[in-house]
Order: sequence, then structure tokens, then C-alpha cells
Amino acid sequence: MTERLPTGMGAPVKLEQVTKRYGSVVAVNGVSLEIPGQKMVTLLGPSGCGKTTTLRIIAGLESISAGRIFIGDREVTHQPASQRPITMVFQSYALFPHLNVFENVAYGLRNLRVSQAEIRTAVSEALALVGLAGLEGRLPSQLSGGQQQRVALARALVMRPQVLLLDEPLSNLDAKLRKQVRQELRALQQRLGITGIYVTHDQSEALAVSDVIVVMRDGVVQQVGTPEELYTRPANAFVARFIGDANLVEADVRGGQVWVKGYQVPDPPGHKAGGRRTLMIRPEAISIRPAGETAAGATGDPGAGTGLPGRVIDSFYQGMSAEYLVDTDAGQLMVIDTHLDGPVLPPGTPVTLTFAPRGMYLLPEGEGADLAAAAS
Amino acid sequence: MSVHTVTHPSAVPATVHGRVGTPFWWALLILVGGLALPWSRQGVNVLAYDAARTGLWLLGQAWPVVTALVLAAALLFLGRQPLPSRTSGRVMLGLSTLGMALTVAQLFMRGEPFGLGAVVVFLGFLSIAGISLSYSGWLRVEPFAGAAILWLAVFIGVFILYPLGTMLATSVWVRGEFTLDVFRQTLRSPTFFLFENPWTEVSERRLAQWVGLAAGFAALAVQLVAHRRELGRHALRIAAWTLVSAACGYSLSALYTGFGALRNSVLLALSVGLVSTALGLSFALLAQRSRFPIRSLMGPFSTLSMITPPFVLGLAMIYMFGRQGLITNRLLGMNTTAFYGPLGVGVAQVLAFTPLAYLVLTGVVRSLDPAMEEAAQTLRASRWRLFHTVTWPLLRPGVANAFLLCVIESLADFGNPLILGGGVPFLPTEVFFAIEGRFNQNEAAVYGVILLFMTVGVFLLQHYWLRKASYVTVTGKPSSGHPSPLPGALEYPMVTAFVLWTLLGIMLYASVFSGSFVKLWGFNNTFTLEHYEALRTSGLGVFLDTARLAAIAAVPSALVGFLIAYVVGRLNFPGRSLLEFTSMLSFAVPGTVMGIGYVLAFNSGPLRLTGTELIIILAFVFRNMPVGIRSGLAALQQIDRSLEEASTTLRASNLTTLRRILFPLLVPAVISGLMFSFVRAMTAISQVIFLVTPSTNLATVLILSWVGHGSIGRGAALSCVLIAAMAVVVLLLNVVLHRTGRNAGRAITY
Repeated sequence: MTERLPTGMGAPVKLEQVTKRYGSVVAVNGVSLEIPGQKMVTLLGPSGCGKTTTLRIIAGLESISAGRIFIGDREVTHQPASQRPITMVFQSYALFPHLNVFENVAYGLRNLRVSQAEIRTAVSEALALVGLAGLEGRLPSQLSGGQQQRVALARALVMRPQVLLLDEPLSNLDAKLRKQVRQELRALQQRLGITGIYVTHDQSEALAVSDVIVVMRDGVVQQVGTPEELYTRPANAFVARFIGDANLVEADVRGGQVWVKGYQVPDPPGHKAGGRRTLMIRPEAISIRPAGETAAGATGDPGAGTGLPGRVIDSFYQGMSAEYLVDTDAGQLMVIDTHLDGPVLPPGTPVTLTFAPRGMYLLPEGEGADLAAAAS
Repeated sequence: MSVHTVTHPSAVPATVHGRVGTPFWWALLILVGGLALPWSRQGVNVLAYDAARTGLWLLGQAWPVVTALVLAAALLFLGRQPLPSRTSGRVMLGLSTLGMALTVAQLFMRGEPFGLGAVVVFLGFLSIAGISLSYSGWLRVEPFAGAAILWLAVFIGVFILYPLGTMLATSVWVRGEFTLDVFRQTLRSPTFFLFENPWTEVSERRLAQWVGLAAGFAALAVQLVAHRRELGRHALRIAAWTLVSAACGYSLSALYTGFGALRNSVLLALSVGLVSTALGLSFALLAQRSRFPIRSLMGPFSTLSMITPPFVLGLAMIYMFGRQGLITNRLLGMNTTAFYGPLGVGVAQVLAFTPLAYLVLTGVVRSLDPAMEEAAQTLRASRWRLFHTVTWPLLRPGVANAFLLCVIESLADFGNPLILGGGVPFLPTEVFFAIEGRFNQNEAAVYGVILLFMTVGVFLLQHYWLRKASYVTVTGKPSSGHPSPLPGALEYPMVTAFVLWTLLGIMLYASVFSGSFVKLWGFNNTFTLEHYEALRTSGLGVFLDTARLAAIAAVPSALVGFLIAYVVGRLNFPGRSLLEFTSMLSFAVPGTVMGIGYVLAFNSGPLRLTGTELIIILAFVFRNMPVGIRSGLAALQQIDRSLEEASTTLRASNLTTLRRILFPLLVPAVISGLMFSFVRAMTAISQVIFLVTPSTNLATVLILSWVGHGSIGRGAALSCVLIAAMAVVVLLLNVVLHRTGRNAGRAITY
């Protein structure tokens, strides 16, 4: 009857049309998701997008207004949190302040009435796993933030959950530690083969730890995909801007060719149905050179000589690269010049911009941005 | 809901198999208790054993007993499963409800006061009903929570709502007939309120009308000037202000020129509220923003006022300002009774309630973020503008809160008006005199109802109106930065007030202390220990009895308080807001009202309790329960909910979470709840004065009667013993809390 399982048993999670309302506010709006087993899936979005609510719904800490939830092949919609095969790492860690490290980790096993001997082995295994062996007798208040975080993780892992839920687990750590812990977290999840569902608002964290990212906004799923898919082929303007930086410009598609204000763009990926469309260009995919100069070196630009004319409004020296804000007919564009081989171009310099195909994507029809807003 | 049938929301997972369900044990308890213990009793000893009234004896003669025990046997069978289905949950719910009904029926048919057996049987069925409510799926909480909710509902219903309801009923039912005559007579009696005084030439009514009119016009004028730019938009506001001012003017004039208990109580409450709040605010500001060591002095004072029986200051007032008073008679050579009556009562109450206002306001003043004032200053606000636009609006809800609290306390205060009233009627004392002097229960009930409606009205005002208006949330987090110092023009008068107040307080306490060592204060001031020696024969036993009853009552007060705080603060179920409202309401019930309610409600029939020690304990419990609720809610607020959620996701049931996570973290709060309940019970007077009998006397009542019969010295001696004992308890509490608190405090803020 215990829910402890051998490793490699991470179960898939399925949400069907899950909706959560608080009075008239819809926090989660008809979310359907299939989260594959043994993968690390991130729910990503700005604050208030419903990602934490979705996680708590999976945990059973929030009731839902409509929809169904499955873990593995079992429906758990009406199961209370204490019966679901999940454990959770809380943003605040929620370590029990009056119990020492050992008792914190043993807490769940005691609730399952596991024998004392088994508890002892399981707890020391779990603590060894997170590198905290020897700290069993400490109180949470005697641990550093990073150690507290690991205790919270050990406490969740010792239960051998089918699904491990992580609610912004790194947000209370400093930047350096965050990077290290997220790698460890990723390695552990893969080694133990559990399903991880990870909530964060930090896109770089999401890109680093996830197999799959679910981007949410206003309680609605915007796109589900691998980090690469989201970065190179965003489903809409919101995703394009949320994952990395993006310039969105209006483009005319005529006979399979894409034009931005008289500049024929080298063949970008994306479905090329005709008409007015929105083109996404990553700032680092734009080459910048002073107007009149020919393309510097072999940048692989087939359309060398042509390009989008503009004028530098602002420039920021960044050491290895330079960042420019350039005013063009297509709006203000952000440009990152990563192979800085001359002086930084001062504001006012007339320039020519050319786009590289690998950093461009033609957004699906009807998913374009409000370009008036984008241009400002 | 219909999709899954596998589990119900309440089951504890994993290894409950092989164990027996909780209803089984309750059913077993019913069977054993119902057979072996007496269902009813004859005397005042609730725990008395009487073989002829046990279930075993009654089996042949009382069908409800037989049926109830058969039902218990059925529940024993049904309850053996650890995880019963919804259907069997519903069956169990039906059987246990029937069982409760049969128990009540048996008590009514027998007509005698209940016995221990009936209590055990009833509570057993109640628990099974609560557990089954959860099994049945109708109440989506865990079994333990279902039982807890039903227990609380029954206790609050029987010991708070039922007595108050009985009092209401007594005020309108005379000898089995509905009548408003008692109300009419009471409201018209000059003791209650005399408006038009026939002995004066002016018409008080006419005068009040003029004053009301004048107040209305004045308010109208002020409002018109203030809103002259946008009259249209503020029309409603202007009209409301005008009407309210006119009404206030009329009633204040009527009260001022009138006579009677209503007038005295209301004017007293308003003035005491104003003065105590003003002093409390001054002291709070001084404590936070002055170089004078006010804070270290205010601590002992608020403790002292908490452990002082409410009328001891009244006693001290007699010593200092009475006919033979040290100051009035010895120093000034007067033979005055000026301090008997509203003035003396008012001074005693201001001394008693200022610490209360201080405690409320010091939290508000402390939570004023200095950064806000600094921000306003950087935005070029002058000091006066800063106060007018930032500080005062933020303080206002807290000030109103303190004012209303003091008004409630003053309205409900019984001891001071009784000792210092000097024959002037007040509402709480009229409740007492109606029943003890005029032997008119109905009139007492009417006074009780009026008093209750007034305090509850003020409480509702405070609770709902102010909660919306409050901007300051007390986080317990001290803000950084230095608050701006007080202007000298404000600081010096405040310090003077504080010094005077402190001197008066010290003098009064000292006078009680020395009064207990002299033969007869004012007449024969030779040193003697005779009062303390006299205590050995008559006072000590009562004092120990009081301590015993207060200690017994402290445990359930704290536990029930905490359970309510948990259920209201952390669980979600239909009827939660009702439970919250009723338990909050008990904050506002004056002790006298509760006392009269208990006397009327538990005087006859199956629930007869008068004359028992149990009724005193119950009066303590349900009067002090709010203390437990308040400290429970405050402590729960300090505990992050994610701790409980973490526990839940680690497969813990609510009960396990409560036991292993919440309770250990709440220990300091529980201890202080226990101690405060004890202290409050020791110093209580108003709710128990009707309930004591010669065999169950209490220290406070004894002091009061000694003072009333002229044995002031002995009263002072017992008061000193009481205060000293309480001081020891509070000191012990501080030591204990300091010890456990250091751990818990560190743990909670890790």
C-alpha cells in the first residue's frame, strides 16, 4: 500500500480542461496538458499567469472548479493531497522548524508507518543523495539557505514520489548557488527517473532544467515545447518576447518571399502564407554595419549589399558584445553585435541592418503582435 | 464528485488496515458509560454515583435508554471498519443522530438533572455523528475535524446561545405569557432613564430638540464650507453628516440632562472611552518616540491592571478619596462623597482601561513605518500636514478601535459601579439589583437584553466597520528607520499626564496594600496583622477553592479557544462563518449578562446546574474562551500555511498535522492562553456573582461582600493575596515563555 516505488517509475500527468475560479477571477482557464513520465517539465510565465495554481492543483492543495486530473492511469481529481503520489518542494522550503533534519526527512515515512530501521536507511540515503550526510541533528534554523533547500528536496525525494513538484525552488538562493543547485536538481531527477514539474518565472532557469516547457499567460497555456522549439519557433508574440529577447516587425509575404520595408529578408523558417505577417528576429541574429560599407567579412549573408537602413539611437558597450537600439522604418530594433571587431558605433550613426535566417521566425498567422506597441 | 468511488476525501492512506475505526471506540465508550454511569442525579454533585440511575438499572424501565444502547451496539458493529463506504457513513450518521435524540428524550422524560452517564452517551453519539458526516461525504473535512466541528457547535449552542436566548425569552415571557409589559415598565422607570424631569422648570425634551437642531445646522454649515466646490457630488455625505450630528446632539443633550442607569452608563462609557484612548495614545506615542523610559514602566502597569480584580481600584479609591480618604479627609479636611458616583467610577475605570487602550495603540503606532513619514517629508509636507494627511489617517482606525473597546469594557464593568456607585444606578448593577434586591428575574432580563444589545452593537461596529477601514496590518515586523520625534508642545503635556497617571496608580495600589495592615483605615491607623490572620479562618479556603476551579477551567478554556481558532482559521466547511461570528460575539457579552443568562437557563430541568461547581467552571470557560481564540488566531497567523501543506503532501492527515506540526509550534501560545484564562478566572466577578452559593464561594465575591459589610481591611488583605498570587503566576509564565519562546521564536523565524 505504500506509495514508495523503485527508481524509474515517474508517472505521466494529464490535465483535462482544468479550470480554477476564485469568485469571478479565473486563475486557470481550461488547461489541458499531457506531461510525459520521467521528464522535467517547467511551467513558465509571468507572475499571476496561473502556473503556481496549476502546480497546487496537481498537488491537490487547490480544489478545481472544472476538469479532470490523472496521475499515471489513475484519476486523482477528488483525491486529497495526502493521498496523491506526489511530493512537493515549497518556495519557502516549509521545513518544520521544531524538527531536526533527520525528523524532517523522516516525517513522511512516519506517516506511512514505515518501520524504524527502514526509515533510518532511507533517510540517510536521501541525505547522502543531496550531499547533507552528517547534518541529521541540526535544526533548520542552524542551516544555510542552500542546505535548507536540500533538506526540503531530500524530504520530498525520500518518499519516492511518482511526481515531484517544485514551486520556484531556487528563488530564495543567491545567483551563484542557484546555478549549481539547478544542475544538481536536473541530474537527480534524471538519475531517479521521476517526473518533475517545475514552476518558475525565470526563463533562463527554465531553459536550463527542462525537457519540456509550458508557457502560460492569464491562466491559459500559450505553448508547449522543448526549450529549443520555444526559442526558435515561438507560437505567438507573447512566447517570442518571454523566451529571450525578440524584435517583432511587420512583414509582407509575396510569392514565398518575405519583405520588410523594401528589404528582402533571407528565407526565414515558418509557414509562408501570403499577406501581412509578423516576423520575429532575435537581436543577436541582426548584423549591423555603418551605412555604405559592404558586409564585413564572410558573415554568410546572401543578401549582402541590401539591408534595412536605420540610425543608431542608443548603444551600450557590454564587453564581449555591444547592444544597439536602432530606429528603422520597421520600428525600433534591438541589435546585439556579438563579434565586436571595431569601436562601438555612437548614437546618430546611419547603419544598415541585415538579418540571419537562423534567428528569424515567421509567426503563425493571426498570432502577430500589436506592432504599434512593439514599435514603441 | 460521482466520478470516483474508490476513496472518500477523509481516509488516511496506507496502513490503516487491520486497525479498527474510531467510531468503534466511541460506541464502546457509550455502551460502557451508558450502562455503568448514572443517567441523572439528584444533588449538586455532577460526578455523584447512583446505582439506581445507571443504565444497567434502567434497562428494564426506560425504553429510550434501551434503544440508545442498542443503537450503540449497532454502531459498534458498523464502526469496526477503518474505511467505511459513504452509504454506511450515512447509516451511522442516522443512527447516532437518533441516539442523541433518545438521550435527550430520556432526560426530559425523567425530569431530573443530567448525570455523567447521559453526558458520556450524548457526546459519544455526537462524536460518531461528526465522524460519519465526514464518511458520508456531506462534509468535506476529515473525520476528526467533523467531530470537532459538531462538539464546538453543541458547546457554543448550549453554553453561549442558549443562556442568551433564555434571557431574551425571560424578558418577554412572564408566567407563560408573551408580554412587552416588563420592557415597557423598565424603559419608563426613572431608574432606567428619566428624560422629562418634573422638578425642573425647563423642558428637557425641548432643550434636546434645540441642541439637536443647532448641532445639525453647525454640521451642515461646516460641510457646506468644506465641500463648497463640489456640492453636488457630496450631497449625500452632507445630508448624512447633518442628520447624524443632529441625532447625536439630541441624544447627548437628552442624556446629559436626564437621569437613570442608561444615562449614567452611556455617558460614563463615552467619557471613559475618550479619556482612556487619549491617555493610551499619548503613552503609546511616548513609548515609541520619546527619550523617557515610558515603555519599561508601561509593561508592569498593563500586567498589574490585568491581574487586579476589577473592583480593587474602586476599593483603593475609597481609601484615598472616600469619606475617610487619605487625600480628601486627611489632607484637605473634607468630608465628601463626591467620589461615590460617576466621578469615582470613571476615575477607577480610566485607571483600569488605559493599559488596554495602550496595548491596542502601541501595536498601531509601532507598525507605522517611519519610511512613510520620511517619504512624506521628502515630498515637502510640513510637520502639521504630515500629521494631518499621513499619520492621523493611519492611526484613526486603531484609535477608533481602542475607543470602542474601552466603551464596551466600561459598559460591561460591574465591580467598580457596585463599590463606588454610591446608589447611582448603572446598567450592569441594575441587572444585579433587579435579581438580588427586587427579586424580579424578568426585569433583570430586560436590563441584560438592553446591555447586551448595546455592547454587541458597539462590537459589531468595531468588528465590521473598522476592519474595512484599517490600513495598518500588524506584521510583527519592526520597521527600520527612526520615527520622527514628538514636538515638545505635545510631548511635555503627555509626559505630565503619564507621571500623574503613574503616581495615582502607585498611590492607589499602595493604599490597598497599607490598608490591609491597619486596623480601620481613616479611624485607627495602627499597624496590625489581624486581617491576614482572619483570612486563615475564612478567606484562605475560599481562595484555594477559587484557584482550584480557575485551574480546572483554564484547560478547557485554552483548548476550546485553540480548537475554535484552528477550525475557523484553517478549515473550510459550511457554517464556518457562523461559528466564527458566534464565537467572536462572545467577546462582547458582558459578564453580568452571561451570569444572568446562566442563572435563568440552568436553573431547572435536565440541564439544571445551579449550585454546582460545574456551572462556575463553565462560566469561566465560556467567558475566557475568547482569550484562547484570540491568542490562537494570533499564533496561527505567525505560522506559514506552507508548513501544513508540506505536511499534507507528505501523507499526513489533518489530525497528524495538528498534533505533530501545529501543536508543538503553538506550545508557547497555549501556555500563555492557559495562564491568562487562569488569571482571568481568578479575578472574575460579574459572571459568577449570581452563581456562587455558600458552599461554592469565590475569592472575588467574598472580597466584595466584605467591603460591602464594612470589613474593608480584610477585603484589602485578600485582594493583596490575590494580586500577589497572580503576580507570581504571571512571572512564572514569563519565565516559561522565555524558555520555550527562545526555541520556538528562533525556529519560526529561521
